[in-house]
Amino acid sequence: MSLGTHHGDRGGGVREDVGEVVAVADRVRGAIETVIEGKPEVLRLALTVLLAEGHLLIEDVPGVGKTMLAKALGRAVDCSVQRVQFTPDLLPSDITGVSVYHQDRREFEFNPGPVFANIVLGDEINRASPKTQAALLECMAERQVSVDGRTRALERPFMVVATQNPADMEGTYALPEAQRDRFMARVSVGYPAPQSELDMIDSHSSRSPLEDLVPVTSAAQVRDLADRVRSVHVAPGMRRYVVDLVNATRTSPELRLGASPRATLHLVQAARAYAALDGRHYVVPDDVQALAVPVLAHRLLPGPEAQMENLSPEQIVAKLVARLPVPGPQ
Amino acid sequence: MPLGSLACMLMALPLLGSLVRGGTWWVPAFVMMVAVAGVSALYRLSGWNAFPVPFLQAFAAAFLVTPLFAGHIAPLGLLPTDRVLAHLVMVFEQGANTVNGNAPPVSSSAGVMLIIALAFTVLTFAADFLAVTARCPGMVGCLLLALVSVPLLVDGSGLGWLPAAACAIGFLMLLAMDMWVRGHEWGTRVAGGHGSRERVLGAVRSGVAVSLASAVAVLLALTVPLALPSLRTDALHTMADGTYVGTGGDLITTTHPLVSLRRELAFSDRTVLTYRTDTDQPDYLRTYVLDEFDGVNWTMTPVNASADSRVAGELPLPTGWGSAPSEDVVTTRISLDSETPRMDFLPLPYWARAVRATGEWYVDPRSHVVFTTDSAPTGLNFTVETVDRVPTAEELADTGNPRSLPGDYRNLPRGLDPRVQELTDSLTEGAQTPYERAVALQEYFTGGAFTYDLDPPAVPDGTDPLVHFLLGDRVGYCEQFAGAMTVMARQAGVPARVAVGYTAGERMGDGRWAVSSGDAHAWPELYFEGAGWVRFEPTPAAADGQGSASVPDYSRGSEEDGADAPGTVPEEPEAPADEASERSEEGGAPGEEPSRAPEESEEPEDEPTSSVAAPGDGSRTGTGLAWLPVAGAAAVGLLLLALPALVRALVRWSRTAALSAGAAGASQAHTAWRELRDTCLDLGGTWTLTESPRAAAGRLARSGAAPETAEPEPGGLMSGAPPGPVSPETAEALWRLALAEESARYAPSPDSPEGLREDLRTALAGLAAVVGPGARVRAVLLPRSLAPWRRPRPAPVPGTVTP
Repeated sequence: MSLGTHHGDRGGGVREDVGEVVAVADRVRGAIETVIEGKPEVLRLALTVLLAEGHLLIEDVPGVGKTMLAKALGRAVDCSVQRVQFTPDLLPSDITGVSVYHQDRREFEFNPGPVFANIVLGDEINRASPKTQAALLECMAERQVSVDGRTRALERPFMVVATQNPADMEGTYALPEAQRDRFMARVSVGYPAPQSELDMIDSHSSRSPLEDLVPVTSAAQVRDLADRVRSVHVAPGMRRYVVDLVNATRTSPELRLGASPRATLHLVQAARAYAALDGRHYVVPDDVQALAVPVLAHRLLPGPEAQMENLSPEQIVAKLVARLPVPGPQ
Repeated sequence: MPLGSLACMLMALPLLGSLVRGGTWWVPAFVMMVAVAGVSALYRLSGWNAFPVPFLQAFAAAFLVTPLFAGHIAPLGLLPTDRVLAHLVMVFEQGANTVNGNAPPVSSSAGVMLIIALAFTVLTFAADFLAVTARCPGMVGCLLLALVSVPLLVDGSGLGWLPAAACAIGFLMLLAMDMWVRGHEWGTRVAGGHGSRERVLGAVRSGVAVSLASAVAVLLALTVPLALPSLRTDALHTMADGTYVGTGGDLITTTHPLVSLRRELAFSDRTVLTYRTDTDQPDYLRTYVLDEFDGVNWTMTPVNASADSRVAGELPLPTGWGSAPSEDVVTTRISLDSETPRMDFLPLPYWARAVRATGEWYVDPRSHVVFTTDSAPTGLNFTVETVDRVPTAEELADTGNPRSLPGDYRNLPRGLDPRVQELTDSLTEGAQTPYERAVALQEYFTGGAFTYDLDPPAVPDGTDPLVHFLLGDRVGYCEQFAGAMTVMARQAGVPARVAVGYTAGERMGDGRWAVSSGDAHAWPELYFEGAGWVRFEPTPAAADGQGSASVPDYSRGSEEDGADAPGTVPEEPEAPADEASERSEEGGAPGEEPSRAPEESEEPEDEPTSSVAAPGDGSRTGTGLAWLPVAGAAAVGLLLLALPALVRALVRWSRTAALSAGAAGASQAHTAWRELRDTCLDLGGTWTLTESPRAAAGRLARSGAAPETAEPEPGGLMSGAPPGPVSPETAEALWRLALAEESARYAPSPDSPEGLREDLRTALAGLAAVVGPGARVRAVLLPRSLAPWRRPRPAPVPGTVTP
């Protein structure tokens, strides 16, 4: 299954730096696809978030492979991976770490929590109480942890991949708006196609393919690629386009809460990574259009009318995208 | 904007300068226009709905008319009462009469001023509505066009360049102001440069560009019509033919030959021309030939100025003459008086063998009138050689039926009063040959039953002027005599036409002949096989008639009148008479006509041409050159139909040329993309601004130019050209075009793609191939991309920073 990037068509339009992004991304994708089959768009979004140095929220019903995707992503990159199972009794210190009193040396010693890693898998994040979830706020946004008055920086790359069930499932809390806003994108895996499901039965019958997954890239390389992604060109018209789109969510009468300025930054950054994955060194409207729903929708709260009409934020964002003219020639 | 349209109309005011004498004719018009535009401007300051503006303007205009034109009789000088209204109507009628009765320039009487003021007020109304309320200032050009045509039609000398330039500048100013206002509605303009110097430079640069474009437009407008010769000559001479043209019925007349004839007769003592000639009995001088009777007026078939008909040496032989006669050649040197108004048609004796005159002159081979398309000089001297060939009565009596005549000079409109035909039949009862019938008709007019009067009493309402002249009071002047005899000659089967010109004039002491305007004359010309066109003279001569008119000897009848004629031509004369009577039967059932005819002949009494009028439906039975205007109209119509296609082809051509010219990569891609967009629109497809280039290319490849029915799945980058109804090559070409456009729009340094031109060609052909033939034809003939309202425009999205 090819993702069909068309960089081959461009006839020399690909620069070397983005070329490497494409090459590495293809390797990672190939690796993950041995575990999760038939979900190219989801994989592509996950890679986009990884290269854009954002955090990914995977939301779907139980059993469709959310955790598998998160774990595969962690395995494919040769870096430190920590996993947190969010349970209702989880405490904030279980995440950030705790200072314990060292009797021999008569001082407090900091035991770093699972958040000190390159990739943090937060499984079933919405089963913990909002108090515990809040412990993630600082590290996700500022990539640092402040415990007992000391601030400790986190290593790059730092990516939280959280999975959650939809909010109306039993035993779940809704993520606070502040936390949702810190995730760059939300994806849902969805059920596999019948053929993929058949293949899955074969591949999963003997042993978990996850165990065969060998890392195909390193943390240092991901860091390097992320730096290259930051240099992808965003034309002035494209910047205005993004701002217009975000603004449209704020002024839309169908939305109670629009997207934040952080969402703007996330959208631009994600679009850069998306373009780089496509082998381009500049962002086109299609990047933004493809990312608008995953990047924006989970931050929005529908207004009463939209709720009455059963309009989801995803639909509203799609409508706004369809109405916004793309930037034309200068 | 209201002030802009005012300025534009004010700049057009000088157009009438050449038509009105006196210095203050424009003042009332100026005051009323300023008032009307001012009302509009003030009201629009309020920002309310523009609906009441025309009413307010009408009120303001009505309020001003009274003090301007009837202040002395109105209470307080401005209250309109019945009396004031009646006075205004009277002044208006006076003005209308002044305009009708005088050649331009007319004196600036109160009536003329009122007419000008009202006309310009209405124009300012319309301009204000078009430019401000309807927001299409380009349409004001139509008003200006109507205005420009007035001096062009009325005054043969055309338009001075100064008023024309002022009018053009006013129009351009209006357009510029509209664009300026529109620009400001977008918000403050972002200056191109940062320094004030750059800004000034930018302004100068755009100013120069705009001026150049305007100058080119004006130049094109002036020169392109000249490059279309057929339009030029026909148009000019249809004007010279001069039926009534004008707004509101009879505001302006052009110089119809018969109108100028009566005007000239009124100034009886003004010398028009003098000439010297070899002969003792000079012939009449013909200027015009009126050969078409439309039931109301005698008019001239439009004459053609072509290279073939230029006067160079010998003139063509007149119709009906077998060979060039070698007998006495008479040389006449004619000097037009320098006071005489310009003559586009030369007064010449018939038949002129050669004319030597400076300037470009053309001859109409049918009527042998000599004319120019330039403005003829005043005080022209020219020499003409005529052949002195006067037929004898015997020659004429021997002629048979007319055979060699091109065009039918016996046509009469249907619906003539049958009493005229009865009269003709009774007069020509005993006459066997065409000649005898002609003589009988002339004797009827000159026999004493008719009275010559330059100022005939008015024809009563509802009476046919022709019938009134022939059977009623029998009072008229040469115009009526000539017209009536020509009609009757045609009824009697003799081809006939009306010639207009001058009599031979009076001999002066020094051997010269002087022709004054009192010698202006109209007479019938009748055609006889073998003798050609021959002058007859039904108008009474001498003191009680046209003073200098002379009855030709040959028209007095031959001695052997009736004796030899039956023997010489026993059978032939019957045919034309039969034909004539048949035609009159076709022309309308005699029983019904009398009751109908008078109702249809309602002619204003003061209309000069009405005196030779006859009632009728005016349906002509056919003219020789009828196909010419039809063909011309068809050609113009075809041209108009093809205009959108031509413009679109021009646009496409220029874009393709730009693609080959090797401009920067980005602009090439934009050009190719725009052409693709326009073609898509032409083919009936849709184009939205919310579509990115690759999305558009994908949609076109998926469903061709037709509007898409199925929504593409949202999200996700399109990658590669998807399969669809278009061929794979087309899809790939579309895809490459989209990538080039995308790169040109969004990349920091756009690629320079190769082969855009070929890709564009492939894509356009591929798109056209998947639509139906109807859509393809429509795309060529009525390209939608030319319609601004078909262009995609953004739907307003709240809170956007993109202007």
